Amino acid sequence: MLVDLLQQLFNGLVIGSIYTLVALGLTIIFGILGIAHFAHGSVAMFGGYLTYFLILALGIGVFPAMALAMAGGALLGVVLERVAYYPVRNAPPINSFIIALGLTLIIEKSNLLLFGVDQIIVPTGFNRIFTIGGLALPELRIYILLTAAALVVALTILIQKSWMGMAVRAVAQNRAAAILMGINVHAVSMFVFALSSALGVAAGVLVGALFAIAPGVSGGLVVKGFAVLILGGLGSIPGAIVGGLVLGVSETFASAFVSSAYKDVIAFLLMIGVLLVKPEGIMRRSVAR
Amino acid sequence: MRRLGVLTIAAAIAFSPLATRAAEKTLTIGVSDALSGGGAVYGVPEKRAIDLAIEQINAAGGIAVGKDKYKLAAIVYDDKADPTEATNVARKLIDRDGVKYLLGYCCSASTGAVASIIGREDAIMLVGTAGARAITSAGHKNVFRTRPPGDYTGDAAGRFIASQGVKRLGVVAARDVALFTQYRDALIKAFESEGGKVVAVETFGGQDRDMTAQLTKVRGLEPDAYFISGYVEQVAFAHRQAHELGIKAPRFGFSGGSAAQFLRVASAEAMEGVWDLIAIEFNAEALGENAKNYAKAYEAKWKEYPTPNSAFAYDQVYVLKAALEAAGTVDDLEAVKKALRNLTVPKEVVLRYLPVDGKMFDPKGQAYISNGAFQFRNGNWVFVKELPSDAAAYSKFFQTVRD
Amino acid sequence: MLAVTDLRIAYGKTEVVHGVSFDVAAGECIALIGANGAGKSTILKAICGLIPPSSGDIRFEGRSIGGLPGHAVARLGICMCPEGRQMFPEMTVLENLQLGAYRRRSEDISGTIDEVMTLFPRLRERASQLAGTLSGGEQEMVAIGRALMAKPRLCIFDEPSLGLAPKVVDEIEETLMKIKNLGVTILLVEQAVSMALRVADRAYVLEAGEVVASGTSQEISNDSRVQSAYLGG
Repeated sequence: MLVDLLQQLFNGLVIGSIYTLVALGLTIIFGILGIAHFAHGSVAMFGGYLTYFLILALGIGVFPAMALAMAGGALLGVVLERVAYYPVRNAPPINSFIIALGLTLIIEKSNLLLFGVDQIIVPTGFNRIFTIGGLALPELRIYILLTAAALVVALTILIQKSWMGMAVRAVAQNRAAAILMGINVHAVSMFVFALSSALGVAAGVLVGALFAIAPGVSGGLVVKGFAVLILGGLGSIPGAIVGGLVLGVSETFASAFVSSAYKDVIAFLLMIGVLLVKPEGIMRRSVAR
Repeated sequence: MRRLGVLTIAAAIAFSPLATRAAEKTLTIGVSDALSGGGAVYGVPEKRAIDLAIEQINAAGGIAVGKDKYKLAAIVYDDKADPTEATNVARKLIDRDGVKYLLGYCCSASTGAVASIIGREDAIMLVGTAGARAITSAGHKNVFRTRPPGDYTGDAAGRFIASQGVKRLGVVAARDVALFTQYRDALIKAFESEGGKVVAVETFGGQDRDMTAQLTKVRGLEPDAYFISGYVEQVAFAHRQAHELGIKAPRFGFSGGSAAQFLRVASAEAMEGVWDLIAIEFNAEALGENAKNYAKAYEAKWKEYPTPNSAFAYDQVYVLKAALEAAGTVDDLEAVKKALRNLTVPKEVVLRYLPVDGKMFDPKGQAYISNGAFQFRNGNWVFVKELPSDAAAYSKFFQTVRD
Repeated sequence: MLAVTDLRIAYGKTEVVHGVSFDVAAGECIALIGANGAGKSTILKAICGLIPPSSGDIRFEGRSIGGLPGHAVARLGICMCPEGRQMFPEMTVLENLQLGAYRRRSEDISGTIDEVMTLFPRLRERASQLAGTLSGGEQEMVAIGRALMAKPRLCIFDEPSLGLAPKVVDEIEETLMKIKNLGVTILLVEQAVSMALRVADRAYVLEAGEVVASGTSQEISNDSRVQSAYLGG
């Protein structure tokens, strides 16, 4: 029984770590620009497809391909910010909301045109399975956890310790004061989109390796991402980390101990619960700490 | 909705500019199938099989109706296995394109939606792989189906699993698709009537690709064997994850995908020893000469080995040909329906149909084939044995249900 | 150092600053005084690039800076200590100070941090506390310290005494004197007119978007209109 519990916990943490990566990208964009960037899921899928084709075309391993795709994703993020969101930066929020919806359709359809309708699975070659006292730990899932953890640590260091990270937090907390400090908020916006999209690409690759990438997957992913944001607090980085893991583990435990039919309902129940009890999220709203 | 274009067959193109002989006519049929999304693994092979059958029939001179010879052409639409989309496609085919014969139909939800409105339409619908019972059991006079309903096979499968010495069975199955729930319920009933015990019934939804939680839960109950059913892709993920969880007990299943389709998701190692308990769909080992020729022609045309379900669609076209030739008309749908109802199994079909009262379709327009057990060995499906199946007895029961 | 000539600023179609001119020489401390709504803060925002002027010229060290984006103005060495303190509330005091030196981020700033903490010993005690949790007076110290971190050529203070207790206002006055004695050029906007005139070398009096009087602090203190309007005398 204990083994099953630990097995479910491990399963939930793996899924949760992917939710965390998706939510991190969404939350830093929300923190800086107040935009609900719905197209994030499609960007993630784009990254998964790109990685898949880089692996096939260049014959490189999954990690180098993922690094290249993240760079590509960062570039895409900058383009999105410049072309789509920058022109409406001073318009009422409904404008960027509509743009976000439009972008989602555009990227989703571009994925279809570029990569086709077939489901693809990112090949990793990680097929070994480690067993510790009945606990089955597939190599692939361990790598997913480690990759997500490494990215979270890297992001935390970047945001906490670098000048750019300080600037990002400053803009999130007090935009006008940040300008007075000499921070170029447009550069920060571009940086945030690049960072967020690169993280999204990483999430897409992990989804593509563990499950598959196909048309329609992005919608589910972005819904989970926003559920995590509500759960952890809009704009909060620690909230996204904790919220993602909480959601992944809750879903898995709901399947295991309540009913698998309620797995997807659990995200919404958690969201409603948090909104009722602690509307600001389980962590305070902030990109700060 | 994507219009895939009129597939005008080479022969028809060649002859149409010289359409001087009055007897040379073209009959356009409509094809609705899932060509993108999750259902495409069934829909695309169906569409290809129909293309192949049309090409062969046209090359052999077409369909002899009275003193006319008809060549076939098809208008193909992607219904994405989606009920709304499929209903729109049917409307477009009947109202705008003016076709009277609708073929294809791989997936239960989309096909069920069309079947529920087709009774009022001046058209004949030939259903392929879609397995939900209600599609034919509802009793519309213009619906005919080559694939038997899921529960017909589920009953035989439940008895087979019991005969393998399984006492405790854990079930992980698709939640919302009638084909799979009906099959599963019939399987559980038959398995329990043979003295077996089902320790858990866990389900997954249409978009799920992660069944780890369900499998871990069932694993904890230590069953002798697992039964996993659903669409190919999802079942393949379940087998991959069962393997990752170190599950060693035998795994039975119901999904009917080709080896290649499974191997796109799960390794051969993860699939080794898995059973698929299905109506004997296309399988060149288990079936006769027609099947071997079909496989050869399909592979030559599409550079790919035919999927098991594709033959349901291939046979549709030959069933239509036989019925039209027997009726002697393409316009009088009443006569064509009557001809379909009285049809004996045409000699060109690939699958081994079990006639009821000597006729291919029973009074509700349902055909039956035998059921079989297939096992995954060394990267491929191997036909192991035929499962005892009583088509006549099931058909008698089938006439009494409407859902 | 700073020369503002015939500056006009409008919010939409409503002009609120009607042709204001003044100048600040290097090392000077200049006060802009006037009632609420006289246009003082609006002028500061235009200098700092937060809003564009509709006409007129703003020159800093001979270079026209009117309409330049805010971060570019800040990088030239004009630094503002804004009204209402404008903390980064969920960052520590130390991080707030570090951000003040953003334009000098390629340099070693530990020396400057030490200088500022020597100026405000309280901030050294509170270095790892979140700025949002400080008292108003302490926040003002952070805001002033943060401005000094940039090693500004021109330091602008917008209502540093606003909303603070009289005892704290005295401390602020002391601090401003210290900063002035360090040789920093200061542009001070205040409603606490007597305090401002004690600190500043020269002053301009603004009323409804226009300069109505200017002169040395001494002259302005003795101006009867100023006395009746602002000094309660």
